[in-house]
Amino acid sequence: MRVPLYLQPRLEPPLSSLLEATPFLHSLADALGSPLNVLLPDRIAENAERFRAVYRKHHLTGRVTFAHKANRSSALLRRLAATDPGSTGVDVASLGELQHALSCGFTPDRITATGPKDPRFLWLAARTGVTVHPDSLTELEQLAELVRKFALPRVDVLPRLSGFETATGSGVSGVKVLSRRSRFGTPVGEVGALLDALERHRDAVEPVGVAYHLDTTGLTEKAVALEQCVVVMDELRARGLDPRIVDIGGGFGVGYVEDAGQWERYTTELANAVLGTRPALTWRGHGYGLRNEGGTLRGALGLYPAHRPTAGPGYLDDLLSAPAPASGRPPATLLLEHLYDLAVQPGRALVDQCGAVLARVLDVRPTDSGDHLVRVGMNAGDMSLEEHGVLVDPLLLPREGGQGQGDEGPVGIRLVGNLCLEADLITRRTVYLPRLPHVGDLLAFANTAGYAMDFHAHVAQRQPLARTVAVVRDGGSWRWCPDEEYWPITQSGGPAS
Amino acid sequence: MRYESITEAIGNTPLVRIDPAVHGLVHIDLYAKLEMLNPFGSVKDRPAWNMAGPHLATAAERGETVVELSSGNTAKALALLAGMHGLRFKSVTNRMRIPEIKELLLLLGAEIEELPGRSECLDPTDTDDPLTRFHQALAEPGGTYLHTDQYFNPRNTEAHASGTGPEIIKDLDGRAPDWFIACVGTAGSSTGVARVLREHDPDVRVLGLVAHKSDFIPGIRTIDEVHQVGLFDPATYDTIESVTADEAIDGMVTLIRRCGLLSGPTGGAAFHGAVRHLRAIDDELTERRTAVFIVCDRAESYTGYVRQRRPELVGRPPLKNSAAALTEAQVRAEAAVIDTEAARRWISDGDPAPLVIDLRGPHAYAALHIDGSVNITDELFGELLRGGLPFSKRQPVLLACPVGEKSARYAALLTRMGHPDVRSLSGGIIAWRDAGAPLVRD
Repeated sequence: MRVPLYLQPRLEPPLSSLLEATPFLHSLADALGSPLNVLLPDRIAENAERFRAVYRKHHLTGRVTFAHKANRSSALLRRLAATDPGSTGVDVASLGELQHALSCGFTPDRITATGPKDPRFLWLAARTGVTVHPDSLTELEQLAELVRKFALPRVDVLPRLSGFETATGSGVSGVKVLSRRSRFGTPVGEVGALLDALERHRDAVEPVGVAYHLDTTGLTEKAVALEQCVVVMDELRARGLDPRIVDIGGGFGVGYVEDAGQWERYTTELANAVLGTRPALTWRGHGYGLRNEGGTLRGALGLYPAHRPTAGPGYLDDLLSAPAPASGRPPATLLLEHLYDLAVQPGRALVDQCGAVLARVLDVRPTDSGDHLVRVGMNAGDMSLEEHGVLVDPLLLPREGGQGQGDEGPVGIRLVGNLCLEADLITRRTVYLPRLPHVGDLLAFANTAGYAMDFHAHVAQRQPLARTVAVVRDGGSWRWCPDEEYWPITQSGGPAS
Repeated sequence: MRYESITEAIGNTPLVRIDPAVHGLVHIDLYAKLEMLNPFGSVKDRPAWNMAGPHLATAAERGETVVELSSGNTAKALALLAGMHGLRFKSVTNRMRIPEIKELLLLLGAEIEELPGRSECLDPTDTDDPLTRFHQALAEPGGTYLHTDQYFNPRNTEAHASGTGPEIIKDLDGRAPDWFIACVGTAGSSTGVARVLREHDPDVRVLGLVAHKSDFIPGIRTIDEVHQVGLFDPATYDTIESVTADEAIDGMVTLIRRCGLLSGPTGGAAFHGAVRHLRAIDDELTERRTAVFIVCDRAESYTGYVRQRRPELVGRPPLKNSAAALTEAQVRAEAAVIDTEAARRWISDGDPAPLVIDLRGPHAYAALHIDGSVNITDELFGELLRGGLPFSKRQPVLLACPVGEKSARYAALLTRMGHPDVRSLSGGIIAWRDAGAPLVRD
């Protein structure tokens, strides 16, 4: 057959060793059903520590805050709550997430509230004293009104800014760094009115800094935004306020595919398949955003860059180190010189390597195309890497005694879900595995804790939702408990007394 | 030679034989077509002039802006052409990867628009990719753009079919070369030249060179990227091979140091790719053959590119009085440090009181600083010290930076330079603030 186009996942301990514990994972899935979400809470603490190391390298202070929306697990939050309170926190984007964060042990000083908010969310945030990121001038006014009306304590606020698109030069000659428009935040062009409002509402809100979050992998755009935040901070200071924090949001990324060569080969062949110079690699010739117009490739590849040489903490390091366009000083230096703290809000990057989704193989049958159809006990909502444009292979975890049936060797498979729906594809691409799966085997979708685990899960057709378990290393073996039963004090032999 | 306009100097570039001792081919004469000698500095002068030329007068009447997706030589040529005709030029680009070229373009009066990076939280159904929006903006009725569209405009190819190709044949005494080697960027030069050469002699073989996928070579596309080029037709090439950035730099260095050709990395890639491809064939040959490759542009703009990849090629001896040259241990041993409390006493009671130098950036200094301090940004301070001590040895000095790291380094350096009383504020301005010591703004 053709050379299999593998996209093997990047695996680090403890996830790599967990996925070698095949009998253990089979026994979990036998007892708890398919799909099954498996989480490694200890790794989130390790990831936070890696971000902290970048802070230390640049002598920066401030919190690393987990964007809760990436995963709704309790175990991950509770484990993070148990790390150094001065350097880690959680960012919530709904009333439910705020309640959850409080219940998991985060004190209000470690919680920030972002995103669009309703009055109940604002009230609980203000009542408990978490830091609020007002999304707009209107929301700031609303919050101030609420504080006065219900005699709440003054609320720390970090207004979110946006629209940093700007020219560094004046007149015709200059460089304009364009940025995708965001529907969140106050455009820097209108910041004057925001500052006026902050001054006006000083009895109700205390501006402790400013924030931004840009949905881009581009370092320059983020550096431009950071530079302009520093200017706004100085403006606040000039108005007699004492802002301390620049919150630069998240978007630090995760590397999903280990090998750069595999990723390059795959994307090249995908382009060739779209151009028709090789057999299709996807269901109905789907091009992931690419299309063939008279032999020329048009469109843009709508895929997450699955292999990333630097991601997460490394990306933050790059961002802090490269000279910013206007001042020519690296962002880390700018923050230090202006005496500001740095806050970051990684979601995906903080839960890198924190878990996997297991799915049982239910049916395997050949098709006309030569590829096999493999149906698993979950649907596209249960494991949504595809929805997020991430292409990476699952791992095959054979059932005991299921090997050596004479059909060894790499195969191309089509992965379909358990819904009675043509479109329920786990992925639209043909996945290559080292051998054909058998009914009863498990497929493990590694590194799915960030946005791909329960973000899109639903109960359509009364298919079961995945159960979620937390797993911790216990000497040479593994211990597990339901996600909601996990507490950071849990040790071998039950909770520590 | 007398010209009415610099545009008349475009084309008719020399074809220069590469010394066989350099390339080592026994049966093949290898020639370099020196497109770098075009007046604006590159092979792109031809298509830029051919695409824009006929429209410039009308565009000037309508007050249009010339616009192109280019981060390099095409932008350079178009910026100059636009300037000559009183037009504005805007270059739209993903990311300018060669800072020198970016600065040069700004010097030429170009406006640069950098498109947004890829989305981090990807929405696969998003059809709003920045390029699509760019094309929509151009197509809007009443638009005032002259878009030269180098990746799709047939006049790009034609510039080479009517110029570069026939010139090669003429300079080879009416014969086409046996091989033609070109790097593929917009595919304009390779397609145009190949067409003319093949019309002259159908046996001409054409080697197209692309950049190795994970590498970046200015002006060359990777095998994936060429598919997005409208002018690219795989049938143009007998062979397509890839070249790494390292190989491009090797080729460039050979052309520069041994052939007297001030080629940039693109020309280096063409030379390296040509020799690598021809060497295997050369062994089998018995008669004389010829091959031609294109030297696209000049070396000067790429020193940063080379420094990043092959620092040893532009290595310099360490500078005098360099703070960066001190080791951590030397800094620790030789820098005198003073904490906030002692520093405050020194400033108020010292006789003479120390000169306080704040090494932070000017904006940070303006926002908050120690009263009476002087702001000399670290980089400037470093420059200043290269020439010697900028203040008297009798004047005590207190250095301050954000956390006391850079100031310690400079304190150690000044001590080495013979200053008897320089101290570094330990923990820097941040420790000063945290101790509750006063900071002022003007």
